Amino acid sequence: MSSNRISEERLHAFVDDQLAERERDEVFMALKQDEALSRRACELRQLSELVRHAYENPPRAGENPDHARHGSPLRRAVAAGLLLVAGGSLGWVVHTPEPTQDNTLHAMYWDEDRAFQNTDLSRVTAQQGTKKIIVHLNTSSPEKFEKALGTAEKLLRTYADSDQGAEIEVVANASAIKMLRAGYSPYAQRVRELQQRYINLTFLACKDAIDHIRELEGPDSEVRLLPDVDVTPSALEHILERLSEGWVYINV
Amino acid sequence: MNILTSLCKTRQLKRTLVEHRDALYRIAYSWCHNPALADDLVQETMAKALKNSSQLRDQKTIKSWLYRILTNCWHDHFRRNRETVDVDDIVLVDSDTPEIHHDRQQIVRQVRTAIACLPMGQRQVVTLVDLEGCSYIEVAQILDIPIGTVMSRLSRARGALKEKLLAADPTADDRVRRLRTVK
Repeated sequence: MSSNRISEERLHAFVDDQLAERERDEVFMALKQDEALSRRACELRQLSELVRHAYENPPRAGENPDHARHGSPLRRAVAAGLLLVAGGSLGWVVHTPEPTQDNTLHAMYWDEDRAFQNTDLSRVTAQQGTKKIIVHLNTSSPEKFEKALGTAEKLLRTYADSDQGAEIEVVANASAIKMLRAGYSPYAQRVRELQQRYINLTFLACKDAIDHIRELEGPDSEVRLLPDVDVTPSALEHILERLSEGWVYINV
Repeated sequence: MNILTSLCKTRQLKRTLVEHRDALYRIAYSWCHNPALADDLVQETMAKALKNSSQLRDQKTIKSWLYRILTNCWHDHFRRNRETVDVDDIVLVDSDTPEIHHDRQQIVRQVRTAIACLPMGQRQVVTLVDLEGCSYIEVAQILDIPIGTVMSRLSRARGALKEKLLAADPTADDRVRRLRTVK
């Protein structure tokens, strides 16, 4: 399919996962053939991430907006800026997906110039020679969490079968924290089973997001995470750190 | 329906409303950029939801239903205050918010300002899609507009945001990396 047949609206629908499978495949093919188109798609993804970042913790009535966010706003701003700037600098390199794989998940990694390159799950190891993957969740959608767990398990099973060492981290920030919160997550049992089955699977919760919940629910609120869930001071910074170490990044 | 069943349903709805409160506030704030007004809009939305709970026939659609109520509350707010202006054409700039002076939140501020500069119709679409992950069909139902309008507004909104936020700045890359290096 010629890339000039991909309208702006259709490209947005692709990025927002609003296309049927066949249409999605067509856009994938066009992205592969047209670097400018893939760059535009990358920019749209970056814009969405920026908008989410900007309203992650909106100021409350009667609150000084300067103190509306915990932790270091500068660190977060720099982290988001890095995601933005690095992502926009080289465009979106897309490879033809395997027919059987889930095209809605895009894997990205940093090349030697710290520019995002896009690939697909089936090529993650071949492309990067790495088996270290970080899966990022920032919404409390059960469907997305289910997808993240399924993806992580599928990859771990693949690596286990081929006797390859692998490491996968599932990082939750913003409202996705709910999925790792004891007493709230409908996936407590599933998370436990995966933790027990795969020693190389780690779940991480963003401390900024936890602090935000505490702030909203009052000083007496107790935010307990599921057993063996680690805490990272800032999910965004953690992701950038992992990218710099050669990990592959998947945003669900 | 007996009284006990009715009470149980009301309690369940209240719990569900509390779960959606943050998301409603985030969307309300992204539309008005005024914490007090956003709080009022959410309170009004929750009160109306409780009052009209019988209108919700399918619990699975509660998210769309709540955003629809929020949209109506937002329109009501403008009807009360600006009788003759079409809310879809209003451009609000948060020039009077203290955030604008907060250098440390530069990126957050830039994005919020760019969103605030969008016409309201575009702002609603882009925030519902990007902040809450609503599907295009859900947005069309919430805002009571055709899906084609959702797509065109989204396209125009992101075009404007791209121009403001992703404009070429050859020094930006180095600047951000340097900041991270010395952190």
